Amino acid sequence: MKRVLSLFFIAALGVLLLYVVASMPPMGDPQTPTATHVIPRYLERAEEETHTENVITGVILNYRGYDTMGEVTVIFCALAAVLAVLGRERRGRIRGFVDRSPVPSSTIVRTMVRFMVPFIILFSVYTILHGEISPGGGFQGGAIIGGSMIIFTTVFGLYESSRRIPQKVRAPLEGSAVIVFFLVGALGLVGGGNFLTYAWPHAARGLQPALVTWLTVLVEVGIGLGGAMVLISILFAMIREEEEIALTA
Amino acid sequence: MRLLHNYHYAAAMALFCIGLYTVIVRRNIIKKLIGLNIMETSVFFFYISLGYLDGGVAPIHAGSADPARMVNPIPQALILTGIVVALSVTALALSMVILLYRQYGTLDVDRLMREEEPAAEGAAGEGEGGA
Repeated sequence: MKRVLSLFFIAALGVLLLYVVASMPPMGDPQTPTATHVIPRYLERAEEETHTENVITGVILNYRGYDTMGEVTVIFCALAAVLAVLGRERRGRIRGFVDRSPVPSSTIVRTMVRFMVPFIILFSVYTILHGEISPGGGFQGGAIIGGSMIIFTTVFGLYESSRRIPQKVRAPLEGSAVIVFFLVGALGLVGGGNFLTYAWPHAARGLQPALVTWLTVLVEVGIGLGGAMVLISILFAMIREEEEIALTA
Repeated sequence: MRLLHNYHYAAAMALFCIGLYTVIVRRNIIKKLIGLNIMETSVFFFYISLGYLDGGVAPIHAGSADPARMVNPIPQALILTGIVVALSVTALALSMVILLYRQYGTLDVDRLMREEEPAAEGAAGEGEGGA
């Protein structure tokens, strides 16, 4: 009964949505409202205003810098909430259900993962540092590092991976995205501009492109490191096993 | 016909409906979360297709890229934010699901709603019975 009713409701919703789609402007048309108002200005002036060749990075970190700062705070709060619900692991080595598995992962898988993980991390460093001139950026690179540690943990177990990235390394770096972002924003105030101005008004004119580029790269590195550590900490909090969690949570 | 030309949008709407159906009908919480993620993905897909241009190039000023042919950068920047928020929501929801499973030993919503007391082994010194 419930299934039929919800199916009916969703079919009605689908018809309504498709009706709206049928009356939308054609996709890919350069004359649609989404492509005409503010976009040409962004596309033409972004390079000289934000000194980043990748317009998306310019929009994320410069034009909409406040928005991204809030986003970075959201992911940090998500980690804080996950740790508040599940609890932080003890210092030292921890175990998860992967370590209890009666079937050890095969030699082929182990060798391949051990071979691949350094290259994945190298690729993520490239993604982070090249974020302002090619596709990529801090969030993407951080997600790649987090993904490499997820592969490593599923194959080698939590005991091994928590030895590689111990808590005393992760804990200080988890907030690095938020800290670096606020620091760079405050540097804009020190330089005589507004909060989050990368180009300081009182700096020499010849110095400004380099200043903007390096501050942008600094923010990208902070976001990448912080995002990666947040992902790894969430992973460890979710798969570790401790007896006392259920009672103290 | 407009609907056939805008088939990206139509596909996004179909994905949205599939996700909503999963959220409503499935009784397993994990499957509800998967449905929620499908809905989020459909919104991302819809937004990114809004910024597409016929024959467009990536909005990167490398080489001799023509700004007039670049796709819209704003949806891509916005969706990056959206993906991070979706990730945060999923992480928090999954950690609560883990806790729920440890307390009650089931992920079935109907059984969870009927359950008055936590399972016997999880009940020691715990005051969540009335929830």
